[in-house]
Amino acid sequence: MAVLQDVSAPPAAGLRPRGVGRRERWQRRLPLLPALIYTIVVTQIPFLVTLWYSFQNYFWNQPGGATWAGVSNYEQVFKDPNFRSALVRSVTMTVIAVIVAMFLGVLFAMLLDRKFPGRGVVRTLIITPFLIMPAAAALVWAGPMLDPNFGLLNWLLEPFGVHHVAWLTTHAYGSVIVVMIWEWTPFMTLIVLAGLQGQAADILEAAKVDGAGAWATFRELTLPHLRPYIELGILLGSIYLVNVFDQVRLMTNGGPGTSTTTLPFYLYQQLDYAFNVGGTAAAGVVTVVLTIIVASFALRLFARVFQFEEAK
Amino acid sequence: MTAIPATHAQVQAPRRSRRMREMSGLAGWTALGWVVGIGFFIPVLWMVLTAFKPESAAETWPPQFTFSPTLSEFRLVFSGMGPYIEHSAIATIGSTILVLILALPAAYALAVHPVKRWRDSLFFFISTKMLPIVAAIGPLYVIALKTHLLDSIWLLIILYAAMNLPLAIWMIRSFMLEVPTEMLEAARLDGAGRLREIVEVIMPIVIPGVVSSALICVIFAWNELFLALNLTVTNAATMPMFLISSVPQEGLYIAHLSAAATVASVPVIIVGWIAQRSLVRGLSMGAIK
Amino acid sequence: MAPVSYMAASRVYAKGTPPAVDALDLDIKDGEFMVLVGPSGSGKTTALRMLAGLEPLDAGRIEIGGRDVSDVQPKDRDIAMVFQNYALYPSKTVAENMGFALKMQHVAKDERDRRVREAAQLLDLDEQLLSRKPKQLSGGQRQRVAMGRAIVREPRVFLMDEPLSNLDAKLRVQTRSQIAELQRRLGITTVYVTHDQVEAMTMGNRVAVLSGGKLQQCASPRELYDNPVNQFVAGFIGSPSMNLQTAALTDGGAALAGAVIPLAAPVRAAATRDHLSEIVLGIRPEHMHLADPGAGPAAGSDSVWLTGEVLLVEELGADALLHVRLADGGGSVVARTEGRRSTAPGKQVSFRVQPEDVFAFHPVTGARLAG
Repeated sequence: MAVLQDVSAPPAAGLRPRGVGRRERWQRRLPLLPALIYTIVVTQIPFLVTLWYSFQNYFWNQPGGATWAGVSNYEQVFKDPNFRSALVRSVTMTVIAVIVAMFLGVLFAMLLDRKFPGRGVVRTLIITPFLIMPAAAALVWAGPMLDPNFGLLNWLLEPFGVHHVAWLTTHAYGSVIVVMIWEWTPFMTLIVLAGLQGQAADILEAAKVDGAGAWATFRELTLPHLRPYIELGILLGSIYLVNVFDQVRLMTNGGPGTSTTTLPFYLYQQLDYAFNVGGTAAAGVVTVVLTIIVASFALRLFARVFQFEEAK
Repeated sequence: MTAIPATHAQVQAPRRSRRMREMSGLAGWTALGWVVGIGFFIPVLWMVLTAFKPESAAETWPPQFTFSPTLSEFRLVFSGMGPYIEHSAIATIGSTILVLILALPAAYALAVHPVKRWRDSLFFFISTKMLPIVAAIGPLYVIALKTHLLDSIWLLIILYAAMNLPLAIWMIRSFMLEVPTEMLEAARLDGAGRLREIVEVIMPIVIPGVVSSALICVIFAWNELFLALNLTVTNAATMPMFLISSVPQEGLYIAHLSAAATVASVPVIIVGWIAQRSLVRGLSMGAIK
Repeated sequence: MAPVSYMAASRVYAKGTPPAVDALDLDIKDGEFMVLVGPSGSGKTTALRMLAGLEPLDAGRIEIGGRDVSDVQPKDRDIAMVFQNYALYPSKTVAENMGFALKMQHVAKDERDRRVREAAQLLDLDEQLLSRKPKQLSGGQRQRVAMGRAIVREPRVFLMDEPLSNLDAKLRVQTRSQIAELQRRLGITTVYVTHDQVEAMTMGNRVAVLSGGKLQQCASPRELYDNPVNQFVAGFIGSPSMNLQTAALTDGGAALAGAVIPLAAPVRAAATRDHLSEIVLGIRPEHMHLADPGAGPAAGSDSVWLTGEVLLVEELGADALLHVRLADGGGSVVARTEGRRSTAPGKQVSFRVQPEDVFAFHPVTGARLAG
């Protein structure tokens, strides 16, 4: 299909879109400034102070305030085996929790996508773990649920040959992860559910007509469609889960030994028990740097998540 | 155009077998749904149940499902929680209001007539969430001490607002993106200035989204433990602190703990249940786009 | 390739509401291009979806190739469907979209690729497009990919749900003839749904007109045009629509715009039998012949003369449409005339109408009164 082109007038050269005037540009920036300035002040100043203290020797319980320490705090951090193991532990616990929570989230979302009587109620029940105070959840799981002597779980598992297991002693690591998963699955479920409900009905019908069974439709069409939602859930979930503190502090206090000591908890211990402001600061800075490195990789991987629509 | 009229039996057959297939499928999903829902909810149910037990019935083997319920633990909780719940309420509501005051204009600047470098701004806000708060807790303590904000409710309001701001901006922005450009252009043609555009065109469409964003901020602020634990003592202690204090060094405490946990969690749970739709919409829609 | 039959097929959405499709009886011959046409809500799309298996039957049955498929899954009916919004799989390339059904049938990759390429050639889809995703294609290209997806399957029946409605006017006209020719070449039974009667008339071997879930008439385009069986079909087929005017019955005919239009004896007999005092007259715009200014009725001719005032002239280039208000409270009509014979709003004009070009309809039931 040939298209006749009008070649009589050459296109004007050097044309550029005019863009927005100076005053307009400042008018647009103005509403952003309060939030921007507030965030910078409240988050960056403490960070700068942290940076400052990381180069200082400063212990709460010692008189004399802060003295210059150069990079010795950093040396300590890198030499500290507990820091490294806490770091590794944080990452593995987060990865496990995020993956399992997302897996369950997809399953639950598929369940909630179907119409059945009481679906609304079931959805309400499923989102509750996300609403409950994490501190409350931690204490309730630690006591009434998992206690070896009167915990509900032991009673429920009795017929399966499980007897009075002290979950928080013998399976502390797993227990904490289970609670993390329990609390964050609703979040994943809701995000994936939104994705499922956003699937166009006629595409699913076309697949039906094309001969795709339920599993094939899910594998070939639904999963690719869900990908940005899953990625977003994983990203947001990781951000929150890697910082999780309440459960560790209230269920196991990092133990037994250091088996559930995550990085946030380790830093808390350094401050609260070792009174080591300088050391904590240095560890904090190292954590921040590591986070930035990981985040850059993650963002490149999850670039699609940030589907920034073109500015209107 | 001849047609062989279908006999009544032939007509009934497809209807009957189809209906049976539909019903058995439905029964399966219903059963699965309820099993999952209830199973997931059991810890909460157990918590509330235990809250009504006298201490003697709370730490038994096997666990008791029937007992004579009592409100004595609740009474203890109510008598002790006064200042704590007050502080929680102030910190939560105060920080959420602050968040909305800051986030609404910021979201507007990033969604409608966006700033040139809106991607960078958005990324900056989100990046502040990626840095673990634990890293700065020491210096935060020192700063709070030196500015006389330690153990002050204002400190919590300020910090909670900073904590929730990025998410609120992200969510409200995506709701604002939903306002059709045509509507804004029509308003402009009708002579609406910026303020009118915001109040009369954007806000009505965006209010449900703002509500759900506020809800999520309330949830996170109310439930926050780490900052409260480290930066408050008595003057600004919040409900999570009250909860921790209900675990004594010795003695029976499970029923009391359950009562405290229930009371601490109930406000947010009720609010979340009622505004469920809003919450679902906010979490999922605000997050995508 | 197979014949399709609807036998008293019905679909109702909620108990007590009128059926979306009401006891449809329709026989479609093997290799025929059957168009289901009607306004929105007429049940045409529902009827198509019932054939596809996407809507269940609440009564009656549907047969493809003599076999009852009322309870058979869509994938086992050996049909292919082109959806109104194309329903292309967004995460897959064009080639993967077209080959999807074959993949589900476990056809070998080489065979799949061959058939996809053949279909692409048939539809004039460039090789380059095969590796692109739907969102990178134009509307017309997407439409062709949707068709390609259906063609590749070599099914017994093609189902098309308003496939042209999302294209711009010019592309629609072009694609219309391409689809008709394609169907002729492939010879596959096709059921095509549209609300556009021009599409229906130009593409279909036969056209089934539906309204309110019921079949009004199924016939060739010419038959529908010349012999509509009721007022609805008469008013629906033909563009611009037939003029329909209520006229009081008088001796020998009906009174319109001060003239008496003679009615055939069987028509008058039917009207008397039903004790009618008025009927609905139908005259197509192209049957209102504009008379030269100053001309009058010729003696001995049997044509009827209607006069009126021009309200609006719509120039179409080759033709012009005159909107005229007829004299004596005769109502507004549209007349088609040659473009060159211009007239202007406000002018008085006269039309010659042949009595045999006038249709008569029952004022209440809409049925055509005829011999």
